[in-house]
Amino acid sequence: MFGRLVKESFVRNPRRKLLTAAALVVGMAVATSTLTIALEVGDRLAREFRSLGANLLVTPQSDTLPVEIGGVDYRPVNEGAYLSEADLGKMKTIFWRHNVLGFTPFLDVPIAIQQSENAAPTRTMLIGTWNAKEVPVPDGTTFKTGVSVTHPWWKIRGRWFRDGANECVIGAALAKTMPGIVPGKVIYVSDETGVNSVQDHSTLAKGTPLEVVGIVSTDDAEDKAVLAPLEIAQNISGHPGKFRQLFVSALTKPADAFSERDPLKMTPTEYDRWFCSPYISSIAFQIKTVLPGTEVRTIRRVADTEGNILSRVSTLLWIVTLTALIAAALAVAATSATTVLERRGEVGVMKALGATNTLVAGIFLAEQLLLAIAGASMGFVLGALLARSLGSSIFGTPASPRLILFPVVLGLAAIVAFTGSLIPLRRAAHFNPAPILRGE
Amino acid sequence: MATLVRVDDLRKEFGKVRALAGVSFNVEAGEWIAIMGPSGSGKTTLINILGGLDTPTSGQAIVDEVDVARLDESGLTRFRAQKIGFIFQQFHLVPYLTAVENVMLAQYFHSATDEKEAQLALERVGLADRIEHLPGALSGGEQQRVAVARALINHPKLILADEPTGNLDEANEETVIQLFRELHSEGHTILMVTHDPAIGNLADRRIEFAHGRLVKVTPSNDASRNAYR
Amino acid sequence: MFWRLLWKLLRGSGGRLAVAILALVSCAMVVSALLNLEFDIERKLTQEFRTLGANLLISPRNAQITGSSPAEVMIESEVSAAIQSVKDPNVMAAAPFLYVVGSAQNTAVVIAGTHLEELPKLEPAWRIEGEWKSSQAQQTACLVGRNVAQQLKLAVGSSVSLTYLKKNAQLKVAGIIDAGGAEDNQVFLELAEAQDLAGLPGQISFAQLSVSGTTTGISHYAARLAAALPAYEVKPIRQITEAEGDLLSRIRLLIVSMIVLISALTALCVLGTMAALAMERRQDVGLMKALGGSIGRIVTLFMAEVGVLGAAGGFIGAILGLELSRWMGQRVFGQAISSRWEIFPWTIILTVAIALAGALPLRLLGKVKPAIIFREQ
Repeated sequence: MFGRLVKESFVRNPRRKLLTAAALVVGMAVATSTLTIALEVGDRLAREFRSLGANLLVTPQSDTLPVEIGGVDYRPVNEGAYLSEADLGKMKTIFWRHNVLGFTPFLDVPIAIQQSENAAPTRTMLIGTWNAKEVPVPDGTTFKTGVSVTHPWWKIRGRWFRDGANECVIGAALAKTMPGIVPGKVIYVSDETGVNSVQDHSTLAKGTPLEVVGIVSTDDAEDKAVLAPLEIAQNISGHPGKFRQLFVSALTKPADAFSERDPLKMTPTEYDRWFCSPYISSIAFQIKTVLPGTEVRTIRRVADTEGNILSRVSTLLWIVTLTALIAAALAVAATSATTVLERRGEVGVMKALGATNTLVAGIFLAEQLLLAIAGASMGFVLGALLARSLGSSIFGTPASPRLILFPVVLGLAAIVAFTGSLIPLRRAAHFNPAPILRGE
Repeated sequence: MATLVRVDDLRKEFGKVRALAGVSFNVEAGEWIAIMGPSGSGKTTLINILGGLDTPTSGQAIVDEVDVARLDESGLTRFRAQKIGFIFQQFHLVPYLTAVENVMLAQYFHSATDEKEAQLALERVGLADRIEHLPGALSGGEQQRVAVARALINHPKLILADEPTGNLDEANEETVIQLFRELHSEGHTILMVTHDPAIGNLADRRIEFAHGRLVKVTPSNDASRNAYR
Repeated sequence: MFWRLLWKLLRGSGGRLAVAILALVSCAMVVSALLNLEFDIERKLTQEFRTLGANLLISPRNAQITGSSPAEVMIESEVSAAIQSVKDPNVMAAAPFLYVVGSAQNTAVVIAGTHLEELPKLEPAWRIEGEWKSSQAQQTACLVGRNVAQQLKLAVGSSVSLTYLKKNAQLKVAGIIDAGGAEDNQVFLELAEAQDLAGLPGQISFAQLSVSGTTTGISHYAARLAAALPAYEVKPIRQITEAEGDLLSRIRLLIVSMIVLISALTALCVLGTMAALAMERRQDVGLMKALGGSIGRIVTLFMAEVGVLGAAGGFIGAILGLELSRWMGQRVFGQAISSRWEIFPWTIILTVAIALAGALPLRLLGKVKPAIIFREQ
């Protein structure tokens, strides 16, 4: 009979149920989509922040002081320590290897360039680096990385040099001062010390010929330099297989009070937690472990900005989500309350027939529960679709629906619909059947 | 006496169900007509059509020279406000308005409100001490008397009463019927649906319905009138 | 009578009134809080981005790559006069720099002269051990980069001697900088001191500015500054401005779309509640029609009722919402978000509109015969 009563109340006056159901669907769609976005936003934004470029810098530990202005190291090539290019594959063996999005080694060499073999030399810097290098990883695979990952704001006119080829790109400012150099032309580069020691240009040792294939603009010191494959710089400087700086771009979790602590003073459990969280400090630590003899530094400007904004945006989003949930809950509760309120007549009849308050409440709550299940299911589907399209409009890729949210949304719907009908039901418990039946 | 209501071959169908299957009769001004018959015989439908609450499928229903069947929505609204006074079995008072405000509501829709006049109308039905009460604080009979005062306030041409005593106990019924007698003696035209033959006998004529048709018209006499307590 | 009816309607609705007010208040609250937040979010975020450091560079035209001495310099007074004249509240910090390669205790080191007190404003991300500026011996204080301190075994309070060509200066280390970049290898001292040491009085290598705002705002400012400094080059530092503009627009899009979504759906939910409430008045509408009320007049009455509810709910909700957004600002950005009072009327209008739209279905009863409404009972 109970089941029949519940069924009856659905069949009769379906329009009113429809309103509660609609409110539930809409409310739960808000809950699903905001929760999906909020869960995903950290990862997505962290990836977006990689457009700021590298956030870690690796340098030799026992180095002399780099004489660096505007990103170019003016130290003589035979001074200071070097790192080995061959070790770089190990970068992809650390615990958080998948968070290492890219890394690029740099080697700066003071050079002289000549537009032809006998032309007057111009002193400048040669920056040896990777364009898009296939790095062999110890597990047998390769990993492609280079300046486009760590320095995404560099703009190229023409094309980038091919790694390993006798090609180069020149900085925009340098190109302006040397109008003869255009893409397609070959220049000759040689070690700057050679220029200093040999006064007569004709006796100068023959420079390495490099074909200019593009003009790069970085709005920084590179604009006044020549960029070439790392090998070229290594050969000119006489340090084959070596480099001086490594820029690393890694996906990280915003730093907090915990991540700033000294790992050596942590308890083993804390240490494990720290090690297994993609904090920038733990990634730096892991890089240092695979590249011994290095100093791994956080590029504070980038890391701090990213951390600040990420944590703020996600806090903001959680608060906004919470507000949305509360508002949706209130609206749904209000609608359920209305539908219960307007059926006081039925309550009167049932009580007049001797129904206990528990039975009356049972019928109504069962009805609300069924509505909640139906509303939450539809709302979940709707919300997932909404989150997908939101995700693709904001981040370019759709936000994948998370099934784990379904029970959450279901529970929420049930709680909300229950509480919404509870207050009017409590009042209904005190109803005297007579005045209700009189239609008051 | 002039004919106030002229009903001619009036039909009303709800889907396949025939509520009125061709009804014709006339009502003279000042007449009190009792409409009788079993449930579902079309009595309420007739009252609703005459009062402009519903429209017929076909036929004529002329009240005070206006064919209700030909009125549009706004015409019906004006018609209800100006020519008809309704009294319902369920009273249909607005629960959050006081007695006097319920009366004033009818004034408001008719033209302008006049609280003094509304109070006088309530005094007339014997509710001088209930003017500011909400319907919930009134007995059934008192509520129905408020409804009578409301029905009369705009001096309607025709009073339509649908089982006005159906929800009342005997004492209250008597008070309300007494009011109808007074109205009749003042010359109001009344169409009243009732089950109670005793009340039916008080009317000038009894019109009996069955299955949507008019089956019998019985003029009353003084003897039957006096039979009512 | 209209007002009397309206008053009675409002007083007589009891539980319904509470439900309606609850729904309307929550709607108005969310909408006004989120709108208020939206107005302020860009300003707050651009400020956050300033931890990226300088984003505008004033440099000599055609500066050459230099080995150990600045080949081309700018006149400090011209630059500072131009920065002074082109006023903009968005300029967070501006500092001139003079770079020379000298030596500290016989080690080659980059010596940078600047206004030390501008550094923490220019580069909020830098950490310091010690103080940005020594309180006592101002002129002889310097800041050293982390690597320099490590290499030369310097600590806060130790003294360091800098040499450039033949000149010498004795300085006291006021603080050690951790920048995570090239600055870790440099020594910073007061500009005047550096100019004196380098023998370049009144001259600087370049100037850096940190300007908050959108990409277009920054380039406008850069253009104005460039007009005031025709002899020099003024350009945004691309790494920062480009990424910043892109990120800012994505974050804004994210937040704005969440806000629009939530506001719209909240409004929809409340609309449903209001419609449910309005449809409860069917019987009243039927009765009033029977008494000869025209549907226009009846609906006007009920519209007035929900309109008043909407206005009241909107008013309360808007106040709560502004308060909520202040709290959100405090929670998220550590500082309260200023209340935008222009949101106030809009929230109320929106809430009233939702309430009225909810009551609109009553209009449909105009076509329904009162007899049919009564029969539903």
